[in-house]
Amino acid sequence: MSTPAGNEDPVVIEVSGLTKEFGRTVALQGASLTVARGEIVVLLGLSGSGKSTLLRHLDGLETPTAGSVRVLGQEVPRLTGRHLRALRSRMGFVFQQFDLVPSLTVLENVLTGALSELRGPRLGLWSYPRRLKLTALGHLDRVGLLDRAYQRADTLSGGQQQRVAIARALMQDPEILLADEPVASLDPESSEQVMSLIREIAMDAGLTVVCSLHQVDLALSWGDRIVGLRHGEVVLDTPAEGLSKAEVMEIYGRVATSTTELEAIEVELADAAADAAAETRLADGALRT
Amino acid sequence: MSLATATPTPSAPPPSPSIAERAPRRRLSPERIAATLTLGAIVVASVIALADSGISIPSMIESWGNAERFFARVGPITFPEPGELLYLTALTIGLVLCGTLLAAVISVPVAYLAASNTTPGPGWQAFGRFVTVLTRAIPDVVLAMVFVLMFSLGSLPGILAIGIHSVGMISKLFADAIEQIDEGPRRAIRAAGGSKLQEFTSGILPQVLPSWVATVLHRNDINLRGSVVLGYVGVVGLGHDMSFAFKSLNYSLGLGIAIVMFVLCVVMEIISSVVRQAMLGGAPSGRGLGDRVVRGVQNARRRADVSGTRSATAGAEPAGSRDASSPVGRSSTSGSAQLEAALRRPWDAVRIRNTVWGWIALAVVVGSVLVCNIQWGDLITFWAKVPAIAVQFWPPSFGNYDAATMFGAMLQTIGIALAATLLAFVVSVFVGSLAARNVAPNAAVRTSMRLLLVVIRGIPEVILAIVLIVITGLGSQAGTLALAFGGIGLLGKLIADSFEEVKSGPERALRATGASRGQVYASATLPQGMRALIGHSFYLLDTNIRAATILGIVGGGGIGYYLLNAGQGSNYAVVTAIVLMILVTVLIVEGLAMWMRRVFR
Repeated sequence: MSTPAGNEDPVVIEVSGLTKEFGRTVALQGASLTVARGEIVVLLGLSGSGKSTLLRHLDGLETPTAGSVRVLGQEVPRLTGRHLRALRSRMGFVFQQFDLVPSLTVLENVLTGALSELRGPRLGLWSYPRRLKLTALGHLDRVGLLDRAYQRADTLSGGQQQRVAIARALMQDPEILLADEPVASLDPESSEQVMSLIREIAMDAGLTVVCSLHQVDLALSWGDRIVGLRHGEVVLDTPAEGLSKAEVMEIYGRVATSTTELEAIEVELADAAADAAAETRLADGALRT
Repeated sequence: MSLATATPTPSAPPPSPSIAERAPRRRLSPERIAATLTLGAIVVASVIALADSGISIPSMIESWGNAERFFARVGPITFPEPGELLYLTALTIGLVLCGTLLAAVISVPVAYLAASNTTPGPGWQAFGRFVTVLTRAIPDVVLAMVFVLMFSLGSLPGILAIGIHSVGMISKLFADAIEQIDEGPRRAIRAAGGSKLQEFTSGILPQVLPSWVATVLHRNDINLRGSVVLGYVGVVGLGHDMSFAFKSLNYSLGLGIAIVMFVLCVVMEIISSVVRQAMLGGAPSGRGLGDRVVRGVQNARRRADVSGTRSATAGAEPAGSRDASSPVGRSSTSGSAQLEAALRRPWDAVRIRNTVWGWIALAVVVGSVLVCNIQWGDLITFWAKVPAIAVQFWPPSFGNYDAATMFGAMLQTIGIALAATLLAFVVSVFVGSLAARNVAPNAAVRTSMRLLLVVIRGIPEVILAIVLIVITGLGSQAGTLALAFGGIGLLGKLIADSFEEVKSGPERALRATGASRGQVYASATLPQGMRALIGHSFYLLDTNIRAATILGIVGGGGIGYYLLNAGQGSNYAVVTAIVLMILVTVLIVEGLAMWMRRVFR
């Protein structure tokens, strides 16, 4: 099953009938998804639609209530301990809140991406082999932060921190890159930088990418394929090319039980724009006073 | 000319229930009533205990006369030979440090099991918490007594006693720190395929380290104060020589050592404040004596180089100050030579500071171990003695004493603690309130009250007790006064801090209605701070019960006297019985305190 031949398999992710319940709330309801090697897929949906839960199942961070999750030829929920860690090490994960250790240097944060290939605990730069340090510096250079290598992670801006997190994921030399709302906590300019960085790296290394987003415009301009989620169900699965925002909205409108959901999508978009504008105004005001 | 008088009184409306009848009844839960009654009973018991302790103004004036005569008789205070003094000081610090470090090492796995986000299961968590409660409940003096029996003389009994007893507090605070971490970095390491151990060392440890170091340093200060009492049961160091001097009526030497100990405590507090600052990289926020000195030095230095150039270190740079300097994506493929160069970490100010502190810390630890001259062999040979000694400790019995005497002594200890807590409470509410920024009438009052609290906290209680006993003679009076005095330092500070933390809105609203300063205090500040007040008072009672048993050992009355006697007379069954009594009392008080804090939330 998990023979090296599995690597040649064109299908790297195969989710079918995935259901996840947290107590009485249903996060995922029979969701299915198939991703081929090298695809760049966007999971699109409002908050609470099940995007994050789906991503976390791919990495084995959650156990499904029902259904199957096959990644790189292995049934994820069946794996435990060493085998699960081995599979996880083949997938990079980029989080919304970056999730760097604030008190460690940037370089050491990147190096933690290589922990799975090292045995035993590590603390301090000296405890990592020179070979890995060189690789980590190379990745930092790739994301344009080589000059920050020895600074504490919490001295960096949000956009820089997310780039460090990407470098940390690259440290795993992954086959798949999972990203959970990677730019939801960033300003528009940093978002642009981070998203194009992810895409360039994915193209260069031939990575398979599954990235969750809630902004329709960004999803359409960035992804190759759009998978829409609503209430834990897949309601849309189509190539991004030639798709317009109105069409996406229409599809959402067709599956929506009421017009309120469609409105919610529009309202969320408008809110995001208004928030950004308000923040800019606030920042301007703060500067002036 | 008012409208009210002009309107004719309307005919009486149909008899509707009055507002008093319509108003909902105030509901009181039975638990709250029970808690209030318990609280009342504790207060009454404290008042009785205070009345019984024989503390009165005339007797205090009388003892002042005693003090004058005493100091006239003692003559000039003497110190040990300089070389001897230096060795004793180093030994005391080294021993305390080794003990605290031992506790820190033991506390890491205990905290890992006890913290709700790292524990492998509920059973493990219960075990971790049990270890925490148990080690905290057994006084270090009792442990020291037992270990002095098992080891040939040396520093090991003291190190082990401090090491085991401190696990209680350290592991509790360690676990609290683990529970407060940001789960994100840890999850990121799990997602990258890291093992549980790697999650801990790379995801959790870097986050909790500053708080852990602060905890250990704090406990080290407490242990240094406590080391005086350990000397009374045979642990080497300054305390031992002091007890010996007092026993042989060499008061001038005893007082000299007491002064050295006092200075040592203050210096240690300053040093630990400096180290904490270096670890946390910020200005100390505490209001301890050490923190104050550090702040003063810092301010002075800042004023000195205000004209100097701002040295911008790479590490301390604010976020995003040089953002977007490097274009992303324009794959900046530097040559491997450049990466090789980047391997060498620049020696910036942060790195130099960390390295220097690291080496100093290592030197201090190695020095401590060396000066303690630990007989490592004892750690192996002592197991052979354990069965023989353990048999002597079981079953517990009161030996030659009758049960009434022992329970009476235990009651006396509880009485000392209650009376001291009450005394401290009354004075602390007054001093602590005036030390709070939002209560004090002006800055001068606040500053002087804060200063008073700092000075009181600087004096180790045990030393105060010993000096008081020497002056007023043996008995519970000295113990009560010493505990009350020390309690003011602790409770007054806690009260002042929590009063300063109350919301200022209600105070402002009352002031706007024209309420007087006293009314604002009584109706806005006090009600908001009440919960903290009750919580802190029970914390003090909890501390005082433990401290009261220890004071008995130095002659402050109560059960501690019998404990010391039984230990020195080799009546180990009696030691066990007394320890069990103390354990039960401490656990009851702790349970009561937890209940009160929950009910009066």
